Amino acid sequence: MKRSILTSRRDDATRSAMAWRNLLAPGGLAAMAMLPGCIQVTAPDKPIEINLNINVKQEVLVKLQKDAEDLIQANPELFPQ
Amino acid sequence: MKTRTMTLAAAGLALALSLTVGIGGFGGYALAQTGAVSAALAAGTVGEQADGYLGIRGAASADIKAEVESINIKRRAAYTDLAAKRGVSVAAAAAATGCKTLSSRVGPGQAYRLLDGSWAVRNGSEPVQLPANCPA
Repeated sequence: MKRSILTSRRDDATRSAMAWRNLLAPGGLAAMAMLPGCIQVTAPDKPIEINLNINVKQEVLVKLQKDAEDLIQANPELFPQ
Repeated sequence: MKTRTMTLAAAGLALALSLTVGIGGFGGYALAQTGAVSAALAAGTVGEQADGYLGIRGAASADIKAEVESINIKRRAAYTDLAAKRGVSVAAAAAATGCKTLSSRVGPGQAYRLLDGSWAVRNGSEPVQLPANCPA
């Protein structure tokens, strides 16, 4: 009776090949950690300040141009000259 | 005891008066106050700010400070309405109005305040320095 061969890479499943891979896997991780391209993320030690006034985008201001003009015209007592 | 009642009455009267000024807007007293702010604008002690509110430059009387504060509270209410209507932040509605007030309502010799907090005085026919994010 013939023994069936399940895979063409049956040698990979031997005990010694597995042992090699067990050694390589953590080594690979360590090598990746040492690559210069990795991004280190650290929490800032100061609170992040966001200046809302400066962050108003120009497109929003363009969209509101007409509304702002109308608001000024409609409330003359709020915009003395 | 009587003195206290008098003080309370006076406080009530003052409160009523300030409420009238705050809500009425067209009362003679309010007009006189706005006139004072107009004079302060002309003198450069009060100026429009790029953030859409009025600011006080240097020393101003308590009356003018109070009226500027009252105007700013009403402006904030108007900006809040506009912001809700257009789905933008109150700061955006205020800044959009600030762009308008700076570009069209600051006369020669009048003061205005930029976003960095510094004051400038419009020099003669030169245009006002608008913040970079204002539409041209």
